[in-house]
Amino acid sequence: MRAARLHSLPGGQATPVSIIETEKLTKRYGRRVGVEALDLRVGEGTVHGFLGPNGSGKTTTIRLLLGLMRSSAGRAKIFGRDCWRDAHVIKREVGYLPGDLRLYSWLTGRSALRLFSTIRKRDIRRQGAQLAEEFELELNVRARFMSRGMRQKLGLILALAHEPRLLVLDEPTTALDPIMQDRLNGRLRRMSAAGHTVFFSSHTLSEVEQLCDRVAILREGRLITDEALDDLRARARREVIIRWQPDHEPAPGVAPAFLTLVDAQKGEWRCTLSGNADRLVQWLADRPVGDVSIGRPDLETIFRDYYSRMEAL
Amino acid sequence: MNRGIALKAAREALGVTIAFAIAAMVFEGLLAAILPVVPEQITEQWLQIGFVQKIFQGLLGTKVGNLTTSTALTAIAWVHPMVLTIFWAHAITQCTQIPAGEIDHGTIDLLGSLPVSRLGLFTSTFLVWLLDGVVLVIAAMAGHLIGQQFAPHADRSGWAELAPVLVNLYVLYAAVCGLAALSSVASDRRGRAVAAVFGVLIGMYVLNFLAQLWEPARSVSFLSVLYYYRPLDVLREGVWPARDLIVLGAAGAVTWVVAAVVFSRRDIRTV
Repeated sequence: MRAARLHSLPGGQATPVSIIETEKLTKRYGRRVGVEALDLRVGEGTVHGFLGPNGSGKTTTIRLLLGLMRSSAGRAKIFGRDCWRDAHVIKREVGYLPGDLRLYSWLTGRSALRLFSTIRKRDIRRQGAQLAEEFELELNVRARFMSRGMRQKLGLILALAHEPRLLVLDEPTTALDPIMQDRLNGRLRRMSAAGHTVFFSSHTLSEVEQLCDRVAILREGRLITDEALDDLRARARREVIIRWQPDHEPAPGVAPAFLTLVDAQKGEWRCTLSGNADRLVQWLADRPVGDVSIGRPDLETIFRDYYSRMEAL
Repeated sequence: MNRGIALKAAREALGVTIAFAIAAMVFEGLLAAILPVVPEQITEQWLQIGFVQKIFQGLLGTKVGNLTTSTALTAIAWVHPMVLTIFWAHAITQCTQIPAGEIDHGTIDLLGSLPVSRLGLFTSTFLVWLLDGVVLVIAAMAGHLIGQQFAPHADRSGWAELAPVLVNLYVLYAAVCGLAALSSVASDRRGRAVAAVFGVLIGMYVLNFLAQLWEPARSVSFLSVLYYYRPLDVLREGVWPARDLIVLGAAGAVTWVVAAVVFSRRDIRTV
């Protein structure tokens, strides 16, 4: 787990530096709510996942952060600067991959790197060529002849090549094959370890589990949770299988509250464990256990519960 | 002003501008070569008919007088609907590119990720389009000069005589660019932006035409950009049309400023 970068305060306290900070950020489209009173903080050097069902307001939030849209109320800041007023200054240090990336049909990877170098007033061609090698992208193909995966790779290269302080990625692994997804994840982890901040939206929960330090979940434009993945893991249910020693199976009624018995037969209990495994280990310590297996935290169920409004937690 | 954005705009405009420049050159060349052959037939037959005379009057935006003079013939070559169509079509095609065209294509997100202010983006692109207008005017003039070489008429007009008309045509182009830019920033769909500005220009053209034939239209004809583009008067009098240049220039500047302000403040979304 990477630690978020800390800022020393005069009193000796330390506080994480917020790269993204929103306060009551609201966007309405007429009567329809895009985002409502969003309070979000993304610390420097973290990988922050941004989840939510379709139409929950993820892309709207990203557009507000990039200064593509103006908030109806509240404010958003990146690097302490106003996302609307200082958008062009902020974007010097931001890499952005749109969700539905479209490229100019005449653009090749090479001409794109040349063009972006001129626009950014910073030569990104060498770094871009290295990334192209890493993502196995041929740089001389025109966008009109590229597959969706190739376009996505070029979009990623253009977002990464200037080594931005903040990466904003809208469903970055869409259209990438599993090997490229792994390479991207590896690249993002390395960038995060080097102090870069990654804020990305995704529908791929396994990817979120692998990459993120924190997860924010939006639903119907409202932030319903924003917490460390470790905390979510601690609260997540796990599948537990307990095999009792022959003829020593206790009565099902003795199962503690944190353990929900799903099935009990032939000296084997199948249960779900809510929260930390410590309590289970303690409870089992003085009982006649033959074998026990504890599954990985089931984050998917938590996410699904959040998505579908179930009061599961 | 961002050089990279200007280069991108130039790269995208290159093919279209070359095509329109060739069209302007060829058409202006043809008019310059063919028109001097026609006048005798016109005076003898057509201009005897009052209605035809009115049509020419409408086309030229002023009283025709004696159409056989080389001045009048030259003027026709610069107000021909086809010539105006070439210039206007280029202005509309280019100046609706940002933001309506980019939103339509979905490429605005890529553009929006770059560290360029919206004003910088708009200015850099617009300057390229204005330069494209210079290319069109030069191409049309080149066509005119080439066409004249094939005409029997001895009294040929050169750069010096035509300079006020060329500048007038260019400022008219710039005013249409401003109008197209305004239409573009107010829309998320390029088709709609093009249709709106095209409709306005057609309306202005018809108004200018009717103003020569119908009194009520004359009283509001100053609303048409063509009211400020009268090559026949300019060539006849041989003076720079200062008022027309100022009005068209101001119209172009005002519409551009309003478009830039709207673009700087509007939301950009592709859905």
